Amino acid sequence: MSERRQLVLMLAPYAFGVSALIALPALVTFGLAFTEYDLIRSPELNGFENFRRLAEDDVFGIALKNSLVFAAIAVPLRLAAALGLALLLHRRFTGVGAYRSTAVLPTVIPDIAYGLVWLWLFNPLYGPINLLLRWHGDSPTTTAWGVQPPQWLTHPNDARAAIIIMSLFTIGEGFVILLVTRQGLPSELYELAALEDATAWGIFRRITLPLMAPILLLLLARDTIFSLQWTFVPALVVTEGGPPPYSTTYVPLFVYRNAFEYLQYGYAAAATLVMFVLTALIVWLQWRIVRRWRKGFAVG
Amino acid sequence: MSRIELETVRKRFGETAALDGVDLEAREGELLVVVGPSGCGKSTLLRCVAGLEAVDEGAIRIGDREVTRLRPAARNVSMVFQSYALFPHLTVRENIAFGLVVREEPKQVVLERVAEASALVGVGDFLERRPYELSGGERQRVALARALVRRPDAFLLDEPLSNLDAGTRVQMRTELRRLHREIGSTMVHVTHDQVEALTLGDRIAVLDAGRLRQVGTPDEVYSRPRDLFVARFLGTPAMNVLTSEAASPFLQIPEGTVLGVRPEHVRITTDGVPAKVDIVEVAGSDAFVHLDRGLVGRVSADARPAEGAEVGIAFEREATHLFDEATGERVDRP
Repeated sequence: MSERRQLVLMLAPYAFGVSALIALPALVTFGLAFTEYDLIRSPELNGFENFRRLAEDDVFGIALKNSLVFAAIAVPLRLAAALGLALLLHRRFTGVGAYRSTAVLPTVIPDIAYGLVWLWLFNPLYGPINLLLRWHGDSPTTTAWGVQPPQWLTHPNDARAAIIIMSLFTIGEGFVILLVTRQGLPSELYELAALEDATAWGIFRRITLPLMAPILLLLLARDTIFSLQWTFVPALVVTEGGPPPYSTTYVPLFVYRNAFEYLQYGYAAAATLVMFVLTALIVWLQWRIVRRWRKGFAVG
Repeated sequence: MSRIELETVRKRFGETAALDGVDLEAREGELLVVVGPSGCGKSTLLRCVAGLEAVDEGAIRIGDREVTRLRPAARNVSMVFQSYALFPHLTVRENIAFGLVVREEPKQVVLERVAEASALVGVGDFLERRPYELSGGERQRVALARALVRRPDAFLLDEPLSNLDAGTRVQMRTELRRLHREIGSTMVHVTHDQVEALTLGDRIAVLDAGRLRQVGTPDEVYSRPRDLFVARFLGTPAMNVLTSEAASPFLQIPEGTVLGVRPEHVRITTDGVPAKVDIVEVAGSDAFVHLDRGLVGRVSADARPAEGAEVGIAFEREATHLFDEATGERVDRP
C-alpha cells in the first residue's frame, strides 16, 4: 500500500468525524440562521430577519452582555490562577504530585456532576460556603463581620459571581500547559538572576512573565473561546439562567432555550452565528497582539 | 580582584560524592583552569563557589571573606554559563546591563559600564540586536560582557567555549586569554577539554571523581604528572603505558611499576626495537602511528611510515615516566 493511501486511510476516521459532527452541523447552522424553522414545518428563508430580531431582543442583549462580562472577568482570573499554581507547583517537593493532581481534578469531572456539586456548595442554608461564612456570626444569618453572606442563587450579582467562582477551578489544562512551559525555561537564567541579586518580584517581572508571555497569550485566546461556551452547564444546572431578570442567561443558554424549548431553530442559529463571529473577532484581535509579541520573544 | 580558596570542600548528591575533600586555591589575578572528564565534579565545584550549590562540609573564601554560607549575590562573583544564559527577550544592551539594572545602579553608570564592557569584548556594534540574531561566538562575547560589567571580585566560567564550533573556540580561547591579561581579574575556568586547559590556564587543576589529582602550571602537569590518571588525561594521543614486561625490550624498570611515554617521545627509526606499523592517522602536520607493540607514536606527517611497514622504535630514558602499578602514583627515579 502506498504511503499516500496509508495516510488517507489513517486520516479517514478523523476526517469523517470532523465532517459529520462539526463541519456539517456548522454549515447547517449557518444556513438555518437565514430561515424560520420550528422542526415541524420546512425551513423558510427569511433573509436577515433573525438578525434584525436579535438586535431588538432585550434578552439576547442581556445574554450577550453577560457572556462578555463573564469572559472579561473570568479569563484573566483563570489565567492568573493557572499561572499562580504552575509557579507554585513547578518545583519538586514532597507531595507535589498530589497537589498537581488536585489542581487538574476539577477539570476532568463531568460538567453536570461538577455543576451539581456547586449547587450544594452554594446552597444558602446548608451549603458549606455560607456555613463557613456564617461561622462565628452575630446571628444565624450574618457573617462574623456583621453582613449577610452572599445569596449565590437568588441575587443577580452574587449568582454571576458564583458562575465565575465555579469557572476558576476548571483550569487544569491551562495549569498543565503553564507548568510544562515554566519547567522548560532554562534554569541558568534563574541562577544568573540569583547571582545578580534580583528579587522574587524582579525575577517574575523581568524573566518569568516575558518568557511565558507567548504561551500566556495563546492561552488567553484559547480560554476566551472556552469561556464564551463554558457557562452553559453551570447556568442550566446551578442558576437556571436566573435570578430574574436573566442574570445568568448567557448566549449558549439563550441558544439552547430558543432552539430546544421554544423550537426557534433559525433564530437560535442566528444567535450562534453572532457568537461565532464575535468570538472570531476577539481571537483575531488577540492573535494580532500575539504576533507582535512573538517576534520579540523568539528563541534562536 | 580576589583570590578564591576552597578548604576540604565536600558535596554529595545522594550516594555520589561530587566533591570529595577538595583543597584548591585560585591566586589573586590568576586564570585557574579546572579540567576533568564529564561527571568529575568540576561544574559542581564552580557552582559551590558561586553559591548555586550548598557545600556539605568545608569552607570557601573569596578574598578575605568566608562565603560558604552566603547567598550567591553576596559573594560578588560573575558567572558565564556554557549555554550563555542570555535572556532571549532582551537586547544585547539590556542583557549586558541586567545585573546593574536589577541592582538599581544610576542610569549614567549603567550606560558607561555597558559601553566599556561591550567595547572590551567587541560587541559594541550590535547592542540593539537580540540573542537569536547572533552567532555562538557573539553570544558568548555578550555573556562575557555581562559578567564584566559589574566588576566582580572574581569570574567563574563554566565550559564557556564548549558550545562553539572548533574554529570559533580557538579564536575565543585566545580572546579570553587576552581579556584576562587586560583586566587582570581572578578567573576560574572549567572545561573538559585538555587542550583548552593547557593553552589557557596560568595553572591547571585536574579533577577526577570529585578528587583533586594535581594542581600546577600547564608545563608541570604535562611534564611531571603526579599519577597515571593525569598522565593519560592530558595529551593527545594519550600517554603510552607499558608494563615492566612490555617495556623490557626498551628499558629495565623496577618490579611493580609501569612505564609511561608520551607519543611525541616515541622515535621511529631504522634501528631500535623492531615493530610493525598497524594504522597511521594523519592529523594535519602530525601523524599518529599505531604500532603492534601497543604503542602510539606522534611524528611529523612528512616523516610518517607506511601502514604495514617494519620499523624500529626507541625512546630516551629521560623522556619516560614511572608509575606505581598498584596505586598509579608517580615514582621518582633515584
